[in-house]
Amino acid sequence: MIEFHNVTKRYPSGFEALNNVSLHLGDGQMAYITGHSGAGKSTLLKIIALIEKPTRGQALLNRINLNNLPRQRIPYLRRNIGIIFQDHQLLFDRPVFDNVALPLQIQGYRPQEVAKRSRAALDKVGLLHKEKSMPITLSGGEQQRVGIARAVVHKPMLLLADEPTGNLDPILSREIMQIFVDFNQVGVTVLVASHDLGLIEELDKPRLTLNAGQLILNDLDQGDAGGHDGWQ
Amino acid sequence: MAGSNVRRRKPPTANRISAYLLHHLQSLIFSLSKIYQAPATTIMTVAVIGITLSLPGGFYLFLKNIDAISGDFRSSTQISLYLDLKITEKKARGLEQYIRTMDHVASTRFISREQSLEEFRQSSGFGKSIDTLSSNPLPHTIVVEPGDSADTFTARNLLNRLQAMPEVEIAKLDTEWLERLYTIIEIAKRSVVIITILFAFAVLLIIGNTIRLDIQNRYQEIIVTKLIGATDAFIRRPFLYGGVWYGMLGGIISWLIVEIGYMAISGPLERLSLLYKSDMNLITYSFQDFIVLIACSTLLGLAGSWIAVARHLNQIEPT
Ligand SMILES: Nc1ncnc2c1ncn2[C@@H]1O[C@H](COP(=O)(O)OP(=O)(O)OP(=O)(O)O)[C@@H](O)[C@H]1O
Ligand SMILES: [Mg+2]
Repeated sequence: MIEFHNVTKRYPSGFEALNNVSLHLGDGQMAYITGHSGAGKSTLLKIIALIEKPTRGQALLNRINLNNLPRQRIPYLRRNIGIIFQDHQLLFDRPVFDNVALPLQIQGYRPQEVAKRSRAALDKVGLLHKEKSMPITLSGGEQQRVGIARAVVHKPMLLLADEPTGNLDPILSREIMQIFVDFNQVGVTVLVASHDLGLIEELDKPRLTLNAGQLILNDLDQGDAGGHDGWQ
Repeated sequence: MAGSNVRRRKPPTANRISAYLLHHLQSLIFSLSKIYQAPATTIMTVAVIGITLSLPGGFYLFLKNIDAISGDFRSSTQISLYLDLKITEKKARGLEQYIRTMDHVASTRFISREQSLEEFRQSSGFGKSIDTLSSNPLPHTIVVEPGDSADTFTARNLLNRLQAMPEVEIAKLDTEWLERLYTIIEIAKRSVVIITILFAFAVLLIIGNTIRLDIQNRYQEIIVTKLIGATDAFIRRPFLYGGVWYGMLGGIISWLIVEIGYMAISGPLERLSLLYKSDMNLITYSFQDFIVLIACSTLLGLAGSWIAVARHLNQIEPT
């Protein structure tokens, strides 16, 4: 699903956020990215989400080279990814349902289909009863769950989450992480950046640890890098 | 291949087309609801556009009215030929016959020296003093009416040809003031064109700026929709429709302003036309004018928002 070959990312400021990173996350695998603040976790996810481009090396998503993807293909590639942000990035001018429905509307699903799938996604995160609420009226954890519902509503093959539990208390954090594990169990590839080491220990999943832009620990190398090839 | 693999979840084509139309409809309604939700901004923008457009619109109508009135005058253009005093009545009548056959001449009328004197005696009140004159000082007169198709230029040509006749002492186009009026109207017409272009440009800027602010206000939304796979066209659409709404509503407002303005001056104008014993009818926007006005303002809205979108939307990228 994701392949990095000697990826280096140097920001225009000259700062090298990733240094010669190679990794392979197979279809249907789940892994955590850990590391100190500023280690390059977000940068790694941004390269996969086509927000940043590698300065050197190759990044591939589903064997598509992300280095020189034409601009107009980026939206279509992103539709295969669900992104969850630390600050959930909900649109506060519309109710929960509309937030969750947005990816489907963008992809041109018909209204009946949009409604069906959006409700299913909200049900999955336990917020179906809040579909008509405005996001501002929800608690932090609920907002994060709405963000997750929006990220999974179009059944992406890949879920990226950057500090999804950053602002949440331990119990909520565990709940959220469990949702990711559930999605992984039904075949979605999941990559979560987090520095909540305690929680990561609990959930026995491979880890990628970054230190000052270098990948110093890669559990994936020992495992079956191919993963289940359930996405053909 | 990998590419088809990644794109495999696209809905079928037929659905996509109807979904595409659906999104157009949604954008249309969404942008309208945005307008509805922010009435203060919208009313301000639309009012400014309406006022801006009402100026060239009102000016245009003013000219249309002047044109109609001066058109009435045009048909009353006359050339008076005052003949040499030595010309006999017989010769003068012969000349009249000849002039009647000339190009661009609709009709002629002969007024003999005696008739002229009689008319003058009656209308001037100098009857007594005229009786003391030993001879009639007035010449034979031929009044020439140029043909309907004759414009000022051909009328002037005709005048020159008549003036060149040896029998004609003085040839006078009775409507030199009308010519001046035409020239002024021509100047005014060109001014309207210039004003219209300038104000259209102003509307373009107003709408462009409003849409630019709109884009700034919805920065977050644009970022998020880009991140979940919205194409540029998808993101552009509601803003373009926003511009279309602004333009269309502004056009309607300007139409209202002009209509109300003309209603306000129609009272005094009717009284004026009574004084002149003419039946000047105030012309307002025809249906065709209205359609053109709304089409133009809508188009301006689209163009203005397009410029703003092209300049500002592509700069917004998630980081
Ligand atoms: N746009 C940018 N321009 C310049 N430097 C940047 C930019 N974005 C990130 N950096 C730098 O790159 C380094 C890695 O940033 P990144 O956001 O990937 O860290 P992180 O591991 O996600 O940290 P955190 O845990 O605090 O979120 C940081 O030192 C940061 O200052
Ligand atoms: Mg980060």
